[in-house]
Amino acid sequence: MPFRYEEKTTPKGAPLLVVHASGHVSFADAEELGNRLVAKGPNHRWLVLTLTEKGLEYAPAARKHFQTMKDDYGSLATVVTSPIVRAAINMMMRLFGGAPNFRMFSDEAEALTWLDAVRPVR
Amino acid sequence: MTITIDGSRIDHILEILVKAANGDYDVRVALSEHDDPFLEVELGVNYLLEELIERRDQNQAQHQELLARARQLAEQQDELVLALSTPVIAVWPGILALPLVGRVDDERAAAMTVALLDRVVAERASHVILDLTGVGAIAPSTMPAILRMVRAIGLLGARCLITGIRPELAQQIIALSDRDAHVQALAQLSDALALVLREKGALRR
Repeated sequence: MPFRYEEKTTPKGAPLLVVHASGHVSFADAEELGNRLVAKGPNHRWLVLTLTEKGLEYAPAARKHFQTMKDDYGSLATVVTSPIVRAAINMMMRLFGGAPNFRMFSDEAEALTWLDAVRPVR
Repeated sequence: MTITIDGSRIDHILEILVKAANGDYDVRVALSEHDDPFLEVELGVNYLLEELIERRDQNQAQHQELLARARQLAEQQDELVLALSTPVIAVWPGILALPLVGRVDDERAAAMTVALLDRVVAERASHVILDLTGVGAIAPSTMPAILRMVRAIGLLGARCLITGIRPELAQQIIALSDRDAHVQALAQLSDALALVLREKGALRR
């Protein structure tokens, strides 16, 4: 499975959905993530930390589906080490016209600090 | 922003674009882990190619759907034409009329025969009036088929009357053989109907 989920808390104790992402992400995978974040989903408006691995790819339909999740997460931090994955996420952001409360990091600790700093009022 | 790009990366992208412009969308820019903004351009080209493939597949699916719909419409049209070309009408219990319009060829004659004989059996018809008033022409090779139909109606126990025979059709019938010329002919469909109804006792003089 390209997405593996963990429900944790941030260093300051906020609910956090950690998504380990690797391989080829299909529409079904994107839809599964979306179902966690939608209004009646288990992780609606949670802080999300995505840990991406080198070689991660998104199917065209999956890329389009991510656009629908803009309002369903609290804040989204993505840790990226591969330039190709970073370029892919940048391209998606261009296609969506940006995403609110989203940032990319190369370090997980920095990402968690940012999430704790920007976490929305729930 | 100024960046330095290896010329081979640009050549590679151009090569891919040329192939795509020639309709080959299955090509992709080979990506390396270059940490520079040009990587996004390379990736963007690949995304564009994927979109083109998706649109092409959608178009092909739509094309197939349209073809299937066109085939379905053609079949429905054929059925309609067949139904309209063989308008068997029950004008009285046991009396069928087949007013023909237009050109009669072998195919139509065959369809007419099947439809008419089925109706003769289904309606237990005693009389069939074949009205040729609206027939423009009958293919020379088709006239024997029509006369065979008349004989087949006789074999089913019904009598066939032909109305509206034009001079040129009369010549055709005569030219075929004397044997076929004994068909009872009347000027108009109404004459034939009146005759049959008198025979059946349903109409008084």
